[in-house]
Amino acid sequence: MENILELQKVTKSYPKSDFTLDEITFSLPYGSILGFVGENGAGKTTTINCILNTAAKDGGTVKLFGKEMGDGDTDIREKIGVVYDGDNFPGFWTAKQLSKVMAGLYQNWDEALFRNYLEKFQLPSKQKIRHYSKGMTMKLAIAAALSHHPELLILDEATSGLDPVMRDDMLDVFLEFVQEENHAILLSSHITSDLEKVADYIAFIHGGRLILTAAKDELIYQYAVLRCKESQFLTLDKEDILAYRKRDTQIDVLVADGGKARQKYKEVVADHASVDEIMLLLVKGERI
Amino acid sequence: MRGLLRNNFYATLAGAKAFVGIAVLLGIFVVAMDNVIPTLIISYALLVMIGFSLNSIASIRKESATKWAKYKMTAPVKRADIVKSFFVSQLLWLFVGTGFAAAAVASSVALHGFPFDRNTDLFMLFVVGIGISLFMGAFFIPLYFLGGEERSEVILVVSLLGGTGMLMGLTALINKLYPGEMTPRQIILSGIFIIACGAAAFALSCPVAAGVFRRKEY
Repeated sequence: MENILELQKVTKSYPKSDFTLDEITFSLPYGSILGFVGENGAGKTTTINCILNTAAKDGGTVKLFGKEMGDGDTDIREKIGVVYDGDNFPGFWTAKQLSKVMAGLYQNWDEALFRNYLEKFQLPSKQKIRHYSKGMTMKLAIAAALSHHPELLILDEATSGLDPVMRDDMLDVFLEFVQEENHAILLSSHITSDLEKVADYIAFIHGGRLILTAAKDELIYQYAVLRCKESQFLTLDKEDILAYRKRDTQIDVLVADGGKARQKYKEVVADHASVDEIMLLLVKGERI
Repeated sequence: MRGLLRNNFYATLAGAKAFVGIAVLLGIFVVAMDNVIPTLIISYALLVMIGFSLNSIASIRKESATKWAKYKMTAPVKRADIVKSFFVSQLLWLFVGTGFAAAAVASSVALHGFPFDRNTDLFMLFVVGIGISLFMGAFFIPLYFLGGEERSEVILVVSLLGGTGMLMGLTALINKLYPGEMTPRQIILSGIFIIACGAAAFALSCPVAAGVFRRKEY
């Protein structure tokens, strides 16, 4: 399967903060959504900055549409729609003015499509953006990102300010977007339930390191959490344990193959693992 | 470039609208006043020429309040074009300011007669306004990218003072070269020299600012 986005050993250091993005490697195939999960400060936005060249990477390669993107590769950026968390556009603009600016930036800017999104998302076109609610500004940013017919959407916490109903609507928009074979989405989010709904792949980042990348179905249907007593925990094979976390008298153990674990440890309760739980165990749990 | 210029225009618009209002009211007052002592008309012309330019470059910092400056870099535009658009915008607003100044001076002359001692004084008035504006932009834009938006106020003041200082320095140099009373031809040549220096500084500042901006991270 071909990839729309490929990162190979991408590194980036900020000496003043001691933060390092450590050899991030993942790829995003055409026609799919990759959920990029991690706690605040894990390195999600830094990775996106390196992908989009808004920050210079120290090492590694980032290929977009099979090519490393330089400053002059405006044809590649024409095919990318971006949404950042928070205020994407100056507050003194109206949506109408935003459309005029975007029309001058993107060759494929579709004014009619943008108007349709404004109507669909109930966004007033003549009101200044500063008077929009946070949810409205996020919807506006999503509308703008979609209205120049991009092939790749890069969404950095794009659903964070939306209420559950609107989030669900947006997820439908994203799913509709990836129906096209040549489209894909990189969706960074804290809201793991969103990723469970739409992502095909999930990449976990923690402390600047990618700790796990897997197909979502594999995570949900194959990974499991064993609920062990301390005595049961001591009988587990160390190679089966991805991470574990003590909780009062119980120890939660993340295993990659739930089916095998259920057969091997019949006396232990093995639950399906949610993305949220996997993230918590990987981030807060201990490794052997 | 069209989108970038529109972006800069919208950033400047609110300030420009207010400034146009002040410039029109002040212009009416200045034109209505007798111009026997031309201080008023000189001050007005300098104010509008430098004022519109100042408003244009000061508006750059408005982008820092949101993620737009970062977002813009993900759009299909080169970083050098982003920088170039700020210079082009400032030039356009300088033309607007010069237009206001020319209209006021022309109206004052039509109503009250020629207020200056020599024709060249009028020429030098525009040289000073345009020269300060060009030097100010040449200083501000690269310094802004270098110093960051948190220092924009002090950079703006330094640039305005620097532009004025450059004008005074060049005038002092010309006075040293021509110690006696200058002929009209010498004055015009000196004015052209000042404008050329300002234009050269402005033109050179663009690649310097682009070089600084190329390394800027968001």
